[in-house]
Amino acid sequence: METFVQLVLNGLMLGGLFAIISVGLTLIFGIIRLVNFAHGELLMVGMYLTWLGTSQLGLHPYVLAPPLVLVLFVIGVLIQRFILQPLLDARDAHVQIFATVGLSTALINLALLVFGADLYATPSSGVRDSLTFGPFRILIGQLVMFVCGIVVVGALHLFMERTYLGRAIRATAQHRAAAQLMGVDVKRIYIITFGIGAACVGLAAALVAPIYPASPTVGTYFVLTAFVVVVLGGMGSLHGAFIGALLIGLVDSLSAFYIAPDLKEVVIFGLFILILLFRPTGLFGLGRGSE
Amino acid sequence: MFRTTRRVALGLLAGLGIGLGAGAAQAEIRLGALYPFSGELAVLGDESWRGLELAVEERNAAGGIKGEKITLVRGDAVDNNQAVAEARRLISVAQVKAIFGTYSSARSQVASQVAELARIPYFEMGAVSDSITERKFRYLFRTNPTARNMAERSIEMVVNSVAPAFSVEPKALRIAIIHEDSLYGTTVGRFQASYAKERGLTIVETLPYPANIVDMSSLILRLQAAKADVVLQTSYQNDTVLFFRQAREANFRPRAIIGGGGGYSLRETMQAVGPEVMDGVLNVDFTQYAINPKAAPGIEDFVAAYRAKYGMEPRSGHSLGNYVGAKVFLDAIAAAKSLAADDIRAAVAAVDVPDGTTPEGWGVKFGPDGQNERAKMMGLQWQDGRLVTVYPPEAAVSELRLRR
Amino acid sequence: MSDLALPAARAPRRPDRGLVAALALLPLIFLVPLLIGDDFVFHVFITICLYGALATAWNIVGGFAGQLSLGHAIFYGIGAYTAGLLVPLGVSPWLGMLGGAAISAMVGVAIGLPCFRLRGPFFALATIAFLQVIRLLALHFTGLTGGAVGLMVPLQTGWEWMIFFERWPSLLIAFGLLLLTLGVTAWLRHARFGYYLVATREREPAAAAAGVDTLRVRLYAVALSAALTSMVGTFHGMYLTFIEPEAMFSLAFSVQIAMFALIGGIGTVMGPLLGTLLVVPLTELARGWLGASALGLHGFVYGTVLVLIVLFVPDGLVGLFRRAPKGSADAAEPAAPATVPATAREDIRREIGEPILVAEHLHKHFGGLAVTQDVSLSLRQGEVLGIIGPNGAGKTTLFNQLSGFLAPESGIVRIRVEGEGFIRPATPHAFARAGVGRTFQIVQPFAAMTVLENIMIGAFHHHPGRAAAREKALETAHRMGLWAQRDVEARSLTIGGLKRLEIARVMAMEPRILLLDEVMAGLNQTDVQRAIRLVESIRDSGVSIIAIEHVMQAIMALSDRVVVLNSGRVIAEGRPQEVVRDPVVVEAYLGEDFVHAHSA
Repeated sequence: METFVQLVLNGLMLGGLFAIISVGLTLIFGIIRLVNFAHGELLMVGMYLTWLGTSQLGLHPYVLAPPLVLVLFVIGVLIQRFILQPLLDARDAHVQIFATVGLSTALINLALLVFGADLYATPSSGVRDSLTFGPFRILIGQLVMFVCGIVVVGALHLFMERTYLGRAIRATAQHRAAAQLMGVDVKRIYIITFGIGAACVGLAAALVAPIYPASPTVGTYFVLTAFVVVVLGGMGSLHGAFIGALLIGLVDSLSAFYIAPDLKEVVIFGLFILILLFRPTGLFGLGRGSE
Repeated sequence: MFRTTRRVALGLLAGLGIGLGAGAAQAEIRLGALYPFSGELAVLGDESWRGLELAVEERNAAGGIKGEKITLVRGDAVDNNQAVAEARRLISVAQVKAIFGTYSSARSQVASQVAELARIPYFEMGAVSDSITERKFRYLFRTNPTARNMAERSIEMVVNSVAPAFSVEPKALRIAIIHEDSLYGTTVGRFQASYAKERGLTIVETLPYPANIVDMSSLILRLQAAKADVVLQTSYQNDTVLFFRQAREANFRPRAIIGGGGGYSLRETMQAVGPEVMDGVLNVDFTQYAINPKAAPGIEDFVAAYRAKYGMEPRSGHSLGNYVGAKVFLDAIAAAKSLAADDIRAAVAAVDVPDGTTPEGWGVKFGPDGQNERAKMMGLQWQDGRLVTVYPPEAAVSELRLRR
Repeated sequence: MSDLALPAARAPRRPDRGLVAALALLPLIFLVPLLIGDDFVFHVFITICLYGALATAWNIVGGFAGQLSLGHAIFYGIGAYTAGLLVPLGVSPWLGMLGGAAISAMVGVAIGLPCFRLRGPFFALATIAFLQVIRLLALHFTGLTGGAVGLMVPLQTGWEWMIFFERWPSLLIAFGLLLLTLGVTAWLRHARFGYYLVATREREPAAAAAGVDTLRVRLYAVALSAALTSMVGTFHGMYLTFIEPEAMFSLAFSVQIAMFALIGGIGTVMGPLLGTLLVVPLTELARGWLGASALGLHGFVYGTVLVLIVLFVPDGLVGLFRRAPKGSADAAEPAAPATVPATAREDIRREIGEPILVAEHLHKHFGGLAVTQDVSLSLRQGEVLGIIGPNGAGKTTLFNQLSGFLAPESGIVRIRVEGEGFIRPATPHAFARAGVGRTFQIVQPFAAMTVLENIMIGAFHHHPGRAAAREKALETAHRMGLWAQRDVEARSLTIGGLKRLEIARVMAMEPRILLLDEVMAGLNQTDVQRAIRLVESIRDSGVSIIAIEHVMQAIMALSDRVVVLNSGRVIAEGRPQEVVRDPVVVEAYLGEDFVHAHSA
């Protein structure tokens, strides 16, 4: 029983990690309808920047979160404006996906070029210490991630509901052509959305770096799971992504213990296929999964 | 794959050159060097290449083979199909007399097959998968120890070192085997399980996991639930770091942890995990540099030569292993009646280097399958931020330390 | 119609420059290595053949069917593993190749059956998930696959074992596989199956209405693609003599294969091979020149160049050759249809026969909204039945139930078929097979196909051969006034042209029952007159018609009977002149106040 509770706690904390990474992806996937294979590489870039900031400037990783959010926002804006936007009207809708694949390849190898294949561990700065509650333990850094996940989801939710820009984004997500007719500048909305999605990754990077060491391929470890989370939660749904992440975290934790560590991904991807087939809108989806 | 017009043109020119210059005496012997020089395996592929390069330079300085200089032709085996391509190119375009390699087991599997069909000797000095030599190829030889040797050594250390250190019967130790599930971890893990069973040890868990795992907390909870005393892990860097961090966070403290090379031998792993956490951790790997020079004569000269050429300390034991292997093969080629494949083969098959006479510590004697029967792995331990040799006793530079 | 004088058809196909160039290159792929006679060059060209064949096979699903599969390595791996597991048992890899192809086809169908409902990114993600699951299972079940250790193929040489001392037989097999995939694709491009596939990709509902069993067509495509991919996988496995899950079921490899096709030109015959011919050398150049200089540099350059290619050649290399202007679109609004007289002809009283389509007690809800409530109607042989009603009355929903696009919650739709009595079709293509043709209120052209090809999709229904279908389509195009635009891509037609195309496609199906959904909406007065004559002439040729229409002039002129729908119910039925005077109908259209005001 004690083990089970600890497994659930671990699963929820892992879910917090998936959540903070998936929030940005669900925005990009849900609103721009883009499978962004370079999402994990944005995380990787952010983690290397965090490492640089902590080791070269001696800053606490969390202090780096605001500048990282800004930097990643700019990177996201540039990617959407100069790589993806020109492909919006391409004859084949798939070319955007391949542009992100190329981008992902380029970024991974850029990291390999600059930093080499070794791991770069950001100093833990105290966030890898654990809090104990009786027999149970939680990592401070994971708790922070969990809370930040809730805060980000809440803040973005308010932004989407309360601001004109947020409403324009939602309108675009629901019906691109209609929004355009209503005078929404869809291209600008896409640029901003991608920027916000990337900015979320900036925050995630600052929080994840002290817990996982950076390496050129660290992003690929997370990105497929993040897609599972996004589809489970329903594309474009922020709280859906959060709850989806917690569920996947729990499934990961429990199936690794009760089934086998090398089969937990089979369980996760199997679940993913079932969701796609039987409820493609996800748990809280805005859009229609079959389109 | 396609080396494009440039490569093809070069190949054509080379072919032409050989045609024209056939009358003139050949002033060099070409040998192929096939390693992953790009891609993810490039760091250790390059480290392996340095050992071969040093051995060849040493030989050339001493007059080459049969009075002729040796030229190494590099081939980049970045993936399986590419390994075939480069083996082909080395054989047909560069016309090498033999191929040396390969570090990666999968690349070795496919490239050695090409050489075998072309009847060109293939000398393996780094790939650990046992199945490479299980095919009983005629022209394939391997000097380095294999996954089987690694597993054997780790179980031996459990029985001969760990159990006595805690004054318990080996059977009383509860052993857990965890390994990443690619070729390397799977092979070692499987042999560990079978040797442990042979020795009558108690295995409480055997858990493979994907190398790109992001969370090992459940795996660690399973080890805790199984009350594992000794953990044998075969892993790369990322999963080694993750295991140590999450084990510490879960307050899981087995009596001994024995790694299987890979991530356990890297300085960066120790730094990422923290020297105090890594202290006392055991490891089994190729011969490393902190070894008793009496057991590995010539190792100091190698390190000096390495420093002189590359201006840095060796990055891992791979260069040493390739250096020793290459020297053995070059000596054999020099002793061969001619450079015909069958003469080289006969000379290599006749090699007999006793134990304790090479910088690796072990000797060389090839079995009928081409595997060096004298190859052994070393038992190592992280002590005060250094990876030192602790087993076998004659090679040890330090006593085994285990906390009680 | 047989006496119709068709203008001489133009040469069916301009010689495609890209195609000619590619065909000229093809023999070189085989001859160059033979002439150079070098081992390494052989390998280079074998690789090109294999990757070209894989990309070409992928293109059947990814291009022609328009389903972005990023899991094709599943089939490649199955091919390799099937043969690899059978060889130690003494079974020749040639048999393994066939076995693997069969298994792959079945696995492809098993994956496609549930997944073809998914579109775009969702389908791609599903295929990735399947690939991951299969790779992980291959790693886990070591008893069968050997797990990560992989399978060694014993080095037995000779044709029987597909492993050779000489190099040319391997090249011959690889080249043969390339020719096979190219041949299959070229056949597909010009066969009814290929047209159906592209039509399904462009507009699934319109394809279904034209009698295409869209799911089946896609499943055939995936089975074909999977089988071919698997055959290449078998040979590559034998060629490498080493089969491991990481290399066989690799996501990166799947993406790379798709990338070749994309760069060359998706949905074309030669595109994938051209892409391979460009990218494989590019990869090698980057690696050869930059690989040794700095770790990661070549990958960085490679990735960047890929982004640039996608940015600047988004339609693929074949698109570059295609830039030459197609048939001019400015002839888009041409003279009236030649065979439809602009004036009314004398009224021949027609025989109205037995019911041919009967709907009984149809019910349908969308959420809480009852859109069809207890609707019954029947259409008789040779009759024109008008359906009118205010917006939102449920007319189109009713049509969808009468043509199989929506299943009613209760109630039945029966169609009388010559010699079979009444049958109850359930799917759109089954309705089409029973002789029901329909148009869509919002026109559904196959945008990337020419006008003629659009009409051919309908014509294939009764004329499976391409030549016959083309003949029928030409005739229909002429009759519908689309002759001048027949080689124009449908996307460049005006709305009037698209409406005519919509009818032309249905007419080419030679239906017995025609469902027309507001074909006159948005037309000018002259065009409405023409359309009325057109419908009359269709009626006179013996087709029974149900027409939804807002243009009252047309309804009054054409209908033998009218059914009025409001809020999903039939509120009136009868001769047109009577129905429009019915106060219930007037109220439904104009509102209660209007009725009261006038009766007062």
